[in-house]
Amino acid sequence: MESAAFAHSLQGWIGFGPLWVWAALAAFAIVFLVVLPLGGMATYAERKVAADIQDRIGPNRVGPLGLLQFLADGVKMISKQDFVPPGGDRFLYALGPILVVGGTISAFAAIPFSQYLVGGDVNIGIFYIFAVTTLIPAGLLLGSWSSANKWSLLGGMRAAAQIVSYEIPVSLCIMPVILISGTLQVGQIVQQQGWAWSSELVSQNHFWNVFHNPFTFISFFLLIVAGLAETNRIPFDLPEAESELVSGFNTEFSGMRFGLYALGEFVEVFVMAGIAVTLYLGGWHIPFVNLENLWVKLPTGLIAIIQFHVFMIKLLLIVFVVMWVRWTLPRLRVDQLMSFCWKGLVPLALINVLGTIVWMILFKGQSILQMLYQVSSGGH
Amino acid sequence: MPSGSETVLFAFQCITVLSAVGVALLPNVLHAAVALLFTLVGVAVMFLFAAADFVAAAQVMIYAGGVTMLVLFAIMLTHFIYKAKLKDQGMRLLVPGIVAFGVFTLVYRGLIDLGRWIPQNAPEKFAEFSSSPKTAAIGDALLGNYLLAFEAVTILLLGALVGAVWLARPEQ
Repeated sequence: MESAAFAHSLQGWIGFGPLWVWAALAAFAIVFLVVLPLGGMATYAERKVAADIQDRIGPNRVGPLGLLQFLADGVKMISKQDFVPPGGDRFLYALGPILVVGGTISAFAAIPFSQYLVGGDVNIGIFYIFAVTTLIPAGLLLGSWSSANKWSLLGGMRAAAQIVSYEIPVSLCIMPVILISGTLQVGQIVQQQGWAWSSELVSQNHFWNVFHNPFTFISFFLLIVAGLAETNRIPFDLPEAESELVSGFNTEFSGMRFGLYALGEFVEVFVMAGIAVTLYLGGWHIPFVNLENLWVKLPTGLIAIIQFHVFMIKLLLIVFVVMWVRWTLPRLRVDQLMSFCWKGLVPLALINVLGTIVWMILFKGQSILQMLYQVSSGGH
Repeated sequence: MPSGSETVLFAFQCITVLSAVGVALLPNVLHAAVALLFTLVGVAVMFLFAAADFVAAAQVMIYAGGVTMLVLFAIMLTHFIYKAKLKDQGMRLLVPGIVAFGVFTLVYRGLIDLGRWIPQNAPEKFAEFSSSPKTAAIGDALLGNYLLAFEAVTILLLGALVGAVWLARPEQ
């Protein structure tokens, strides 16, 4: 599990070629085979979920069941006129969407889709993800300012203020997991969330972090809520509140530049869901099953594929909940948004951090399930 | 023939230096702020090549993500500051130019002197350093040897936070 593990294993499977070629290919594979199709399918899924909730049919014309709708949308966006509003700043107008998409897609480099499918399981893991995603508000703010439109600027200001504020509860919500794992490396964090049916291994594997103790259980839901705000999703979509700001920071954008903003937003939801799955829902682990230690020895490639699908099932479930929330809840006001963050989420998250610290000291870092197992097996 | 990583490093060094020049010379103050963003990200990449990954991520998060946002906010909320024209173009380049040249000469001489202290087995030591777990070492150092300094800084930051809230509170 070294850095650039994916590139290493690619090189290992194929057996020749310089490492940097495989690293570049791995990066392209992640972007073009995972991230972009996910973002495209998410727009389709969003419309289908909306249609189901509102008792409609939704897109059903392009391809079977309308599945190719996102390709048609992509073609439409690319063929649109590339227009910079008069009085706008051409350079910053181009830069805004690029920063947003660059910031989100870079985060995928450290998300562990499987034990063997991770761009780079770097030492600073989760910290890296949060570092690169801080480029997103800058992209939103610059894009909105360069549109020379007051609705855009208001939306961009709201987006930046909201994302910067909600970064604090999000960071506090990952603290309990880091306290439990004692590492920032995502691969190790996931590894520890397995479950082993033998008393000597139970001390190393404590099952999913969300069930580690009552504080992490609350912390997981806080992370999802704060993540909704961090990704500008309803009920926190004030930056693009269409009843007040036309369309917010992306009002003046059209064609592929708008497409990049929309893609960046959808992919950001996947990043947040990926973080939640990695930190709290056991990543690529199947509950109570250890793929490495079955009665038959599975080939590494098959394990990687199974783990990838397990990870994606958990991730897509969270994304579905996010979409479900979008068509259920009304939008907050700006003052409600800020007081919810500073008076609600931040104190609760701090209590969770302190509670986890006390739990770690009192019960020597054991999870509830570990203690139950030891009691039931008459352990020591 | 430079290796792949040396080429990447050189590209990022060019980006860092060019955007630093942009920060000083661009007439539009907002463009200068964006150039600052690129400089800070470039410096983060330098840290990466020095095997200081934690510092690199902190650099991106705090400087590129935090400080630049603050600068952008300040520029955008100040009325028409981006349309301000600086009149004394000649003096604007002359005096800082002399100062910059002087500082550059001093730093360059200092670096040449430092070069003599590089040990013979520097590459091996660097390889050993870059494969060692640094994040855990930083944590141990901050909560061990340097605990007092760490706590002093946290109290300073808390004071700054309370002060900011006090300044921003609505008038009674």
